Amino acid sequence: MVIAIGFEGSANKLGIGIVKDGVVLSNPRHTYITPPGQGFLPKDTAKHHREHALDILQQALEEANVKPEQIDVVCYTKGPGMGAPLVSTALVARTVAQLWNKPIVAVNHCIDIEMGRLITGAQNPTVLYVSGGNTQVIAYSERCYRIFGETIDIAVGNCLDRFARVLKLSNDPSPGYNIEQLAKRGSKFLEMPYAVKGMDVSFSGLLSYIEEKAPSLIASNEYTPEDLCFSLQETVFAMLIEITERAMAHCNSEEVLIVGGVGCEYRFIPLLVISTSANGVLMFYCLLYIRFCIDNGAMIAQAGWEMYRSGAVTPLEETSCTQRYRTDEVEVTWRN
Amino acid sequence: MSASIITANLEIPFPTDREAEIAHGSLSVDKEPKRGGVKKTMTVHNNIMHIHFAAPEARLLRVSINSFFDHLKLVVETLERFGQPR
Repeated sequence: MVIAIGFEGSANKLGIGIVKDGVVLSNPRHTYITPPGQGFLPKDTAKHHREHALDILQQALEEANVKPEQIDVVCYTKGPGMGAPLVSTALVARTVAQLWNKPIVAVNHCIDIEMGRLITGAQNPTVLYVSGGNTQVIAYSERCYRIFGETIDIAVGNCLDRFARVLKLSNDPSPGYNIEQLAKRGSKFLEMPYAVKGMDVSFSGLLSYIEEKAPSLIASNEYTPEDLCFSLQETVFAMLIEITERAMAHCNSEEVLIVGGVGCEYRFIPLLVISTSANGVLMFYCLLYIRFCIDNGAMIAQAGWEMYRSGAVTPLEETSCTQRYRTDEVEVTWRN
Repeated sequence: MSASIITANLEIPFPTDREAEIAHGSLSVDKEPKRGGVKKTMTVHNNIMHIHFAAPEARLLRVSINSFFDHLKLVVETLERFGQPR
């Protein structure tokens, strides 16, 4: 029996979760929500994390009904993410690990794939990892999560978030959620740049295009904000599904797992089902559990739990944070 | 003036040696950003943590010390709230 506590603070969510052998005992989270039209900046986000970390930690312990001495390992997000928020969260993890005399495991944020595998039961899925900071198509092979395709500039979630700022949509609960609500009522499609380059995608040109066009298209009543959200969502999802499908064909994979915050956008599901069934792909998994899709502490605890059981421990002096940390830099010691 | 180095020394006392040691363990992991040119060295003697800052500009020194205090406050609060009752 191994109990792991995970600390996540790589972006605007501060989450702490406790996992005991594949069962999530608690997973509280606090999100830094900025006013409409504004993104979250590293300095303010770090301050948010420092202000909430200890209350969230206490809540995590109380909800799980776990005492510090019962915990076996303290896991934290090493990266990728924003530097200052990562460090603020890691400081609390390091301090409690020393206080409670527990080993530490540094976790690559992208290995939240393990949480997806745990929840869906998917054995060897092709993974589409889509969030505000990351956009990758990943498949496991020989002790490594290999990146088949990725964004060559900004993440898909960043593209959606920044368009939400143009429209001054609320960031509560998340800009992507509010884009989706508008998109459901949109019907007139605006053709926009579709940038798939081999197995990679690009969103920055698309964002510039719609940022520039949107104000005049809306002012002239040619398109409604709903139409533009609809068009943007359809375009970016079509791009992602194209590369996912290709990766699945390369790997002879019949399962697809969507992880990351953008995975909560329901429009993905019908699009992906239509697309994959046309290729004869029968099985379909999706991480619909929103509380596990959006950044949270339990996913870090789960990944750390796998790593710890396979013998991984990070010495205290090596528990630094790094803004850039690629998924394929991690040696996957816990899978065959 | 650009060749001169501005320095600052801080001494932070903790209630116990062990808390000073833990705070040092937590705070000494992260390196100063390379481009800032600030050098920070931390040591612990008994219950006192000593921090030496050296920076090429006062502005950089201020930024580094401010950031250090933000982090120190968080670590001290964590020790107070989740440490063993003394």
